[in-house]
Amino acid sequence: MMNFKNNRGKGGNSGDGNSISPGPGVSGQGDGSSAASNNRHEVKRKILVVGKTFAFTNGVIDYALNLSQRLGYDIIAMNVNPALAQTGKFFSPYNQHLRGKFTDRARLAWSPVESELASQGIHGEHVVKFESLVGAIKDLNHAIKRIDFVITDAGIKDEEITGEIPLPVFSISGYQGEQIMANEQHENAGRSKLLGKTIGLGLGVAALYAAVFINSDTVMKYFTKGGIYAALPIVTVFAISFVHGAFASNLWSLLGIEATKKVQPRVAPTRPAQRKRPRPQIHLNA
Amino acid sequence: MHDIASNLNFIDLNVWNISFLFVVGFIGGLVSGFIGSGGAFVLTPGMMSLGVPGTIAVASNMCHKFPKAMVGAYKRWKYGQVDIKLGLVMAASAGGGVQVGIKIQEWILEKWGQSGSNLYVSLSFVVILVVVGGYVFYDAMKASKGSGEDKAGALAKWLQSINLPPMMHFKTANVRISMWFTIPIGFATGLMAATIAVGGFIGVPGMIYGLGAGGLVSSATELVIAFVMGFFGTIKWAMHGQVDIRLTLIILAGSLLGVQLGAIGTTCVKESMIKFVMGTIMIIVAVSRGLAIPQYLTELKLISVGESTLSFLSSASFIIMCIALGVGSFIILGAMYKAKRAEALAKKVEFSVEYGKV
Repeated sequence: MMNFKNNRGKGGNSGDGNSISPGPGVSGQGDGSSAASNNRHEVKRKILVVGKTFAFTNGVIDYALNLSQRLGYDIIAMNVNPALAQTGKFFSPYNQHLRGKFTDRARLAWSPVESELASQGIHGEHVVKFESLVGAIKDLNHAIKRIDFVITDAGIKDEEITGEIPLPVFSISGYQGEQIMANEQHENAGRSKLLGKTIGLGLGVAALYAAVFINSDTVMKYFTKGGIYAALPIVTVFAISFVHGAFASNLWSLLGIEATKKVQPRVAPTRPAQRKRPRPQIHLNA
Repeated sequence: MHDIASNLNFIDLNVWNISFLFVVGFIGGLVSGFIGSGGAFVLTPGMMSLGVPGTIAVASNMCHKFPKAMVGAYKRWKYGQVDIKLGLVMAASAGGGVQVGIKIQEWILEKWGQSGSNLYVSLSFVVILVVVGGYVFYDAMKASKGSGEDKAGALAKWLQSINLPPMMHFKTANVRISMWFTIPIGFATGLMAATIAVGGFIGVPGMIYGLGAGGLVSSATELVIAFVMGFFGTIKWAMHGQVDIRLTLIILAGSLLGVQLGAIGTTCVKESMIKFVMGTIMIIVAVSRGLAIPQYLTELKLISVGESTLSFLSSASFIIMCIALGVGSFIILGAMYKAKRAEALAKKVEFSVEYGKV
């Protein structure tokens, strides 16, 4: 589902909030469109698609493609990562490395999209920026003329797009985009929990083993007495197996050694059934 | 209740002993988790080579075997591979087989002494492992050329078609067969466990070719049988004060790591790989036990072989037995590594397609 929200200007409103087709009130550029339309490539209007992850969701690309085909617009796609923005005076090589990684991944993800756009006769450009979201959009709008409006991908909250941007902004809040961000955050949180559990269990196993071996003389005296004392070794191995078994299982998971996905787990899956990708729609606020 | 400890020789532990037991425990667990059995036939002689008396070696090994089987069975149950009902049904008749196996051992020991007993055990190893292991290996090679999926063989299909009440349906194994056909297989499993300490070498092929359960389900279900047999066997040994808990715990430290790794491995290889590993191990162990036979024949004065030759054969026998486990674990880990690499590559491709798709 797509929310139609126009966060245009500080004191401004969209005027014609019901329309997404370009008009003087919306584009705000005010140049001679008739002359511009003769030289399609240079002055072709553009849709700016913005996302905060290195890949855009299918929902936003689909929608942007649809719009650009109908309107005859080009697309500029911008991946923004404010978290890696250069702050302060000191240059961080590690941050530089992360920026490089992010850029590479973003380019890799964009490449097939660009090809697909080209096959539909749409010119697609790609930019990666490491600054605040609003700053990035403003800078790009200043550098590249003819951006008519912005579509933000899932994961960008409305409050992040303040009134400083002099363009209409539409936000996509599809299932997939949120899912990707939620999954990434969930994965990181899950891993630290697993590490904590593994260490805890490991310490538990070490304690149990230490208890047996430090007192080995006493242990051997009673554990080999026979008769009813037979319960001692049996209970001991059960107890250690539960703790060590859990530790070993977590350890292999932590090391990334897990069953392949094709295994059907005995536990009923708690995830809901995969929904079909929702077709982006505009809902107008009355 | 009597204090037996003073009559028994419990070895002193040092770094070498501990490391050896841990490593062998790990490899044994790995193979166990993968093919449903294994490890015991190296661990018992392995412990004896460290100076552990025979009965303590058997008892301590058994005391580690049932919790290892429990953890392995649980892990594979989570993967949907264990048929608990089949495991319990087989375990019931295996119990009978164990008792008969023990009686046979005692009779042979009485009649022909320790050498006769050892000869009987070694001959059993060689015959069963060559025949069954050879067939399993051949079947694995045949299956790997095809889709790798397990299909019930002709014998299993025929047995399943015989309507001899009570008929039993095993859901996970997807088998409907007369209870009467489970009895001989379970019984033979118990008999073998009491004779050569590895019931699975009969149990797993028996379930595959006799009942028509697939390789995955058979090897997983075998762990249930191993748990039941090991548990009751341990009670018996522990009541006689024969369990050296220190040895058990060291082996367990390694085997609980290994058994789960082996269980994970079954999810990322073709089903025929389980048969391939099993067949390979069985054939190599058969060679190992075959090399030990001249010693027992010499002791029974049936043949005459020089002392140095016997010593050489004895060492070769033990080394080859370790090689059997080593080869098995090498194949398992190699197959897992290849499968994980392929999975990672597929994920990468899927990722680019998914995120680049319009």
